Amino acid sequence: METKQTLKKEINLKDGVFEPKIVGFLCNWCSYSGADLAGVSRIKSAPNVRIIRTMCSGRVDPSFIIKAFELGADGVLIAGCHFGDCHYLEGNFKTMRRIEMMKLVLKQFGIDARRLRLEWISASEAEKFSKVTFEFTEQIKTLGPLRLIKN
Amino acid sequence: MTNNVKIGVYICHCGVNISQTVRVDEVANLLSGKQNVKVSKSYKFMCSDPGQQIVETDIKEHGLNRVVVAACSPLMHELTFRNACERAGLNRYLFQMANIREHCAWVHDDIDKATIKATALVNAAVKRVTHQEPLTPMKSKINPNTLIIGAGIAGIQAALEIAESGNKVYLVEKESTIGGQMAKFDKTFPTLDCSACILTPKMVSVSHRKQIELLTLSDVEDVSGYIGNFKVKVRNKARYVTDKCTSCGECTKHCPVHVPNWFDEFTQNRTAIHKAFPQAVPNTYIIDRQQRPPCIEACPIRQEAAGYVALIREKRFHEAAQLIHKRNPLAVVCGRVCYHPCESECNRGHVDKPLAIQQLKRFAIDWEMNNNGKFESPVIDKHRPEKVAVIGSGPSGLTCAHDLSLKGFKVTVYEQHSIPGGMLAIGIPEYRLPKKLLAMEINYFRGMGIQFKTNMKLGSDFTIDDLYKEGFKVVYIAIGAHDSIKLEIPNEHVIGIYSGVEFLRKVNIGILMDLGKHVAVIGGGNTAIDAARTALRLGAKKVTILYRRTKLEMPASPEEIEDAEAEGIHISYLTAPTEVISENESLRGLKCIRMTLGEPDSSGRRRPIPIPNSEHELEFDSVIVAVSQSPNLIGLNGKSKHKFTITKWNTLHVNPETLQTSEPSIFAGGDVVLGPSTIIASMGQGRRAAESIEKYLNKEPLDNFTTHMVRPEVLRGESFRPHSYAKTYKETEKTEREAVGKLNPLARKYNFEEVELGFTEEQAVKEASRCLNCGVCVECHECQRVCEPGAVNYEMEDKIKEFDVGQIIVATGYDVFDASKLIPYGYGKLKNILSSLEFERMLSSTGPTGGRVLLENGKEPRAVGIIHCVGSRDSNFNKYCSRVCCMYAMKFSHLVKDRTSAEVYQFYIDMRAYGKGYEEFYSRILAEGVNVIRGKVAEIVEQKANDGDKFLAIKCEDTLIGKFREIPVDMVILCNALQPSKTTEKVAKILSLSRSPDGFLLERHPKLDPFSTVSDGIYLAGCAQGPKDIPDTVSQASAAAARALAIISKGEVDIDPIRAEINENYCAGCRMCNNLCPYSAIEFLEDKKVSVVNDALCKGCGTCVAACPAGAITGKGFSDEQIYAELEGILEV
Repeated sequence: METKQTLKKEINLKDGVFEPKIVGFLCNWCSYSGADLAGVSRIKSAPNVRIIRTMCSGRVDPSFIIKAFELGADGVLIAGCHFGDCHYLEGNFKTMRRIEMMKLVLKQFGIDARRLRLEWISASEAEKFSKVTFEFTEQIKTLGPLRLIKN
Repeated sequence: MTNNVKIGVYICHCGVNISQTVRVDEVANLLSGKQNVKVSKSYKFMCSDPGQQIVETDIKEHGLNRVVVAACSPLMHELTFRNACERAGLNRYLFQMANIREHCAWVHDDIDKATIKATALVNAAVKRVTHQEPLTPMKSKINPNTLIIGAGIAGIQAALEIAESGNKVYLVEKESTIGGQMAKFDKTFPTLDCSACILTPKMVSVSHRKQIELLTLSDVEDVSGYIGNFKVKVRNKARYVTDKCTSCGECTKHCPVHVPNWFDEFTQNRTAIHKAFPQAVPNTYIIDRQQRPPCIEACPIRQEAAGYVALIREKRFHEAAQLIHKRNPLAVVCGRVCYHPCESECNRGHVDKPLAIQQLKRFAIDWEMNNNGKFESPVIDKHRPEKVAVIGSGPSGLTCAHDLSLKGFKVTVYEQHSIPGGMLAIGIPEYRLPKKLLAMEINYFRGMGIQFKTNMKLGSDFTIDDLYKEGFKVVYIAIGAHDSIKLEIPNEHVIGIYSGVEFLRKVNIGILMDLGKHVAVIGGGNTAIDAARTALRLGAKKVTILYRRTKLEMPASPEEIEDAEAEGIHISYLTAPTEVISENESLRGLKCIRMTLGEPDSSGRRRPIPIPNSEHELEFDSVIVAVSQSPNLIGLNGKSKHKFTITKWNTLHVNPETLQTSEPSIFAGGDVVLGPSTIIASMGQGRRAAESIEKYLNKEPLDNFTTHMVRPEVLRGESFRPHSYAKTYKETEKTEREAVGKLNPLARKYNFEEVELGFTEEQAVKEASRCLNCGVCVECHECQRVCEPGAVNYEMEDKIKEFDVGQIIVATGYDVFDASKLIPYGYGKLKNILSSLEFERMLSSTGPTGGRVLLENGKEPRAVGIIHCVGSRDSNFNKYCSRVCCMYAMKFSHLVKDRTSAEVYQFYIDMRAYGKGYEEFYSRILAEGVNVIRGKVAEIVEQKANDGDKFLAIKCEDTLIGKFREIPVDMVILCNALQPSKTTEKVAKILSLSRSPDGFLLERHPKLDPFSTVSDGIYLAGCAQGPKDIPDTVSQASAAAARALAIISKGEVDIDPIRAEINENYCAGCRMCNNLCPYSAIEFLEDKKVSVVNDALCKGCGTCVAACPAGAITGKGFSDEQIYAELEGILEV
């Protein structure tokens, strides 16, 4: 916690405005490349989304999602290939099932399921990636900061 | 472990790319001294040589054991820095990259926010790298073979480059020839080289290179594996012509089917057997067989109905008759009395009415006999010692005897009656099948050497045992179904009641009977109708048919019913007899009851139910019972030691495939097996039996039959088409089915003259023209007949070829935009508007006009308009520029001017003449006097001139003079956009390749790696990646080949060891991961009760890692600890 405060202070964050922190798990083959393409094409996206690369969206362990919320994320975005395009044939199907299940689990933790978002973004859908980051950031802003009671 | 970690952090400015949005020094300072960070610096260009040098020096000087570089995307420079680490002695996997350019600096404007985010991303990398472990890259041996998909100029070029090195190439092409779109062009810009002259030598050398295995007519169906080790499955479609083909083209002169040629953009016709164009490679013809015509499929003897119909249409009656007779030894009979299942399946029925196939057959056979005399029996040169006995000389026995005799066997046919022919002779009345014609058919069989023994009844005159004693090795039982089934009503035995078959038999062998004035016939099948009409001809004043269902359910042929009614026969539907009224043991009449129809029974027909209190009496002088027949099996089981299995329908039980009875050397078929059936079904069984018997005598297994058993009906509807070039059934124009001429009912009802007169020549040709040529090839076998080298093989089948390759080049090319979508341009509706490829074909000397620029009316155009950007640079269709149109439009202008005296108008948006010699070409064409108008065409309309001539008016705004203009022309050429081909879409799915928003395949990097994909070992060439001209295509293909060759000469490549690993100590053996793995890479060890990962199959997706409930699976390079640390770092800021 110490590091967190010092870093924040030094960067001089304008207080009073809620800037949500969103973790984006992007699959290496489609969505991460799509986000790269957004960069190359200079298509603006929301700075709130911070990206972690996984080989496949199917690699996203339910515990990663819980962990992210626990560590202070206000939202979690998971993005993978469209159905039929998965580099690993069918990883995204498993992701879909897992995320549906996770939404139910989140409720039991007292976390609004809208804080978890699943999107299919191909390597060519830079604009979609950008749109999703803004939409999701807005959504999380409306929901407000996530306050988890820790013991 | 974390205590000894010493991390070096390097933040890249990327010139100003990063530093103008992210305060890089601030980020470096923030991280400096934090956690295990030993060094934290920023530098202008980390990827430059001095940049990498900093990393290397620091590793050595400060003893760094982890490195983080925050710069561009790891997909760009991860490899660069891993190599730098390795050079300094650090394991390449102890490096982590933070993407602060593509994911941060380039996409954010707010410097504060971008700096925070960059800090978070770098912090995450720092935390993560702490948990990274040294890994050893996996080595993959490279299979030196390469697969190239698509054999246009790109595929050809790549194949030749690789073959030059001596390595093997599988070149897969979906069409029958290689060459792609380029082969369709006449000239190429800007040099005006003849396209064929520069392409065909390359095509020919593809066919000569022994390193290139060319697979035309082939589709890649499946690809699995990874760089160095791909497994490929290809479907090689049947060509039906073997490589014996000398390409003489004789076959095309005889083929009766003409369809538009795809190669000519459907602007001219070709035959069903064809070669796409004269220089096609392979230089082998191909038969276009899209489906077997349903009429042939429906026929139990697979008579080539569509084939002879097509020949009749072409007035080649002799060939038609020969084709019929080759397959059908009872052609005369079938032309007159076949039940014609072909007509029921005829696709023309979806348009209006099925073709009169049976009458066409009769016409061809009659024509042949009238013009060339009877069919001569073939001389059989094969001789087999085994003797075969056939019992029964009906259609089944005759067909079996015929086929066996052709195979060289000695065949003797036993017949219980005095004349051979079975039901054909004694069941079918003279007025339907004249006796002299049947006798002629029988003589044909005798001429082949088949022995007939008449008046020999099984059981009374001989037994099956006797046949074996006489030396017969095999017996075929085809004794038919000659016993009439009784009505089972009281007093059925009285005088005046006859059975249908018995009655017809007597009449047919010449016994005349007096039936009295009023005759009743009971039954609804063809036998009942035959009996009724025969009774009429024997002098009955009134004939009534009693049938217990309605006309709809009546099994007799509709035309027979119609003829009977025309002759004055009354059919009383929904009436059934309940009792025979007799006086002194002779008939007086019938007691009948009215019926109504209930629910459908097991046969699908609605069951008749008696109506209570509807009994009534009818008076008759004679009653003929023709409800059904059943085989007489008494002779079989008599004194013979052979025991047969009898079904509950009193038919012989046989294996339905082989027709073998329970006695191995005894076969049976026809009505004795099927019950009362049709001539053609019995012939089908005779044919199958002959094949079965031959196999039996050859001591071969009784399987793999080449003869036919009718397949179930295929569902077809009006939205289908008979073949890919035809209109749908719904759109096809309706025509009348020709009606066959018949004797006047008054003239025919008192004698046995043949009723049907057959088609006239004119009628036959007209009727045959109604055929839709289902499946293109109609199996007339003319090509096979005239092919001297014997290259035509109808039996060819698709082959699945599986092979291994190390690398794949995708060169699936482009399709052109369908301009009919652009409605204001009128393409497809107005005449003389051509697509670019259609015009290319018009320019070609092998095209529809032989290279002359002509209007549809055959005249030269006075003015030609060429419209650029049709479907490209158009936000409604494709936003991109197709790159080649401006230049080929210039080429078209030149060629139009060269070949006609027409004025040429070009309508362009921007003229794009980049590339070597292109601007010069443009200037040259301008100097030739082409009118160029800057402006997008709004509309093309057809208008009439004062002299009545039609012309096309092109309406557009000339943006240079700011005026609206309307230019009159005779011809319009559209510059259609280049679009990703359909195959590209399919192949992208099979290979899991990404596509850009325009649908073309996505390259690894648009500038630095435009011919690779993100999947290692898969490369792109030509228009599959984006529109480009021939020089660029050839360059890209060579580049892809060079990359493939570089990998081949390396022999093996490093593969990131990103794999799943199972810790056996934690694995509970739940096997959940086993089914999750899409590559079946996880095996369960039964002895240890744990799962293990097969490294060679695992691809490292990590799905199993995420799913393991025990946490026993680790993703190397992407472990839970690493991602937790990354999360911690990313959220800390």
